[in-house]
Amino acid sequence: MAILEIKNVSKFFGGLAANSDVSFDVHEGTIMGLIGPNGAGKTTLFNCITGYYPPSKGEVIFNGRKLNGLDPDKVCMLGMVRTWQKVRPLAKLSVVDNVMVGALARTGSLKVAREMAMEQIKVVRMEHRTNFLAGGLPIGERKKLEVARALATQPKILLLDEVMGGLNPAESEEIIQLILDIKQRGLTQMVIEHDMKAIMRISDRIVVLTSGEKLTEGSPQEVVSNPDVISAYLGEPHA
Amino acid sequence: MNKSILKSAFGILLLVGLLLIPRYVESPYALHMMILLFLSVAQGQSWNILGGYAGQHSVGHAAYFGVGAYTTMMLMHSKNIVPWVGVWAGVAAVIVVALIIGSICFRLRGPYFVLASIAVAEIMRLSAINLTTLTNGAEGILATELPAFKIGATVVTDFVTKVPFYYIGLFLVLLTIGVTYWVQHSKLGYFFQAIREDQDAAHSLGINIALYKNIALVISAVLTSLAGSFYGIYVGFVDPPTVLGLDVSVQIMLICIIGGMGTLWGPVLGSLILVPLSEALRSNMVTDLLVKIGLVNAESKIGIFLKENLSHAHVLLYGILVVLVILFMPDGLMGFVKKLALRRKREAV
Repeated sequence: MAILEIKNVSKFFGGLAANSDVSFDVHEGTIMGLIGPNGAGKTTLFNCITGYYPPSKGEVIFNGRKLNGLDPDKVCMLGMVRTWQKVRPLAKLSVVDNVMVGALARTGSLKVAREMAMEQIKVVRMEHRTNFLAGGLPIGERKKLEVARALATQPKILLLDEVMGGLNPAESEEIIQLILDIKQRGLTQMVIEHDMKAIMRISDRIVVLTSGEKLTEGSPQEVVSNPDVISAYLGEPHA
Repeated sequence: MNKSILKSAFGILLLVGLLLIPRYVESPYALHMMILLFLSVAQGQSWNILGGYAGQHSVGHAAYFGVGAYTTMMLMHSKNIVPWVGVWAGVAAVIVVALIIGSICFRLRGPYFVLASIAVAEIMRLSAINLTTLTNGAEGILATELPAFKIGATVVTDFVTKVPFYYIGLFLVLLTIGVTYWVQHSKLGYFFQAIREDQDAAHSLGINIALYKNIALVISAVLTSLAGSFYGIYVGFVDPPTVLGLDVSVQIMLICIIGGMGTLWGPVLGSLILVPLSEALRSNMVTDLLVKIGLVNAESKIGIFLKENLSHAHVLLYGILVVLVILFMPDGLMGFVKKLALRRKREAV
């Protein structure tokens, strides 16, 4: 069953079409990879889906409900949460307080929120950092903190914007395992990623964007063997 | 010894001490200084909720201070409504003002919000000058005598000495600290700080930004209005520059910047520094001291120069103090103290 339906979504900034006529479905319990060269409109699409921009045209339907124009906080309360490519830790709060902010979307009690937060901190294996200030964490742990904080809002779908960007291979591997763990728990995910090896491993389906348009969609194997995708990434071969 | 028991024991001792002061201290000047200190702490704590916790640096808190003060004084002056009723009319007026200001200004972020908050306070000040039928314009409102505070037929207090004001001031301090403590230890505190640290991230985590900014503003404005009403009835006089001027807003904010924004004890620390400092400078105490210890001859040119000018220089010295604090203690005194404590802890390990 499609938990998220993107129907003919376009987003214009002045005359520039950052997304034009993008459509695809994300099915419950799966991981949808979203790839494309720089400037393809991946993050813009995330912003349109999660309520940061209203789409200029088209519809975003989540769990049968149309989201267009709904604010990000309402979108989160409905069960859709995103992380940020450029991480946004609440720098002067501790790790546990950061995650508690997410948990407080679902409970009014600090005690319950703390328990929920500790649970997610365990999921991302950061127990040893519980009382550290978020602003002092290295990039790898900031990325994991983003994920824990998002998970604490008890989402039905998690949108990850380049969680592996800027990480070393060992850290990336850790994130891949984390994403697969989260999938095991039945959570739907949509992942923007540049690391092709990683995206091939984790995705059930992949959508390729280029210049704001959907180039193709399919299983990882279908996508990488598609000549259009290869030329979009590497340029046209010279005859 | 348990640290938290020690802390609460110290707190209770301090409170008992503060409650007993008027029994043993008779000097009206000393009580006056304490009342100014209480007023300053209450102002600082009120601003701290919006500026320190929620990160919305309002430079227009004079608007709420002034509306509270004016409402109470106007009602007492023209309608003979006793101030302890007028205070609540002030609170109601301020809630309306705050919600109007909030719904307009919170569309703006950062420096634009700061500018809008200044503009709103200036609008209030100019209105108070020009709506002469209501506010008596630039002449201000004078209320030399307060009616006695009665419950039934018993007179609780007649406001002749400074003692009742001392206790009202102390109550305000406890109220504002209590509210801040409650905010800090509730969902509100987490949401306010999330908005301060990163508004977009907070938004994505299900926090209704506009709603919680307005909640912070209303709490902050109501407490500021109480402080304003208290100022009005204590001094017995309000006019546009003293309760609605830009320097009132700046003063309120400085208490927090110097003491430490977003901390429970920052405004207390800030007040403990600023109130005695401005009093010492204003009253020529510094010059007298310099003369007394023989550093400066009162009859010499320097002595005369200091006597004539130092009392006007408190604003300049304020400015220097702010620059120094921002340069060397960007998190205020409280942040500095915390940092020292952390370093000591680390070295002890």
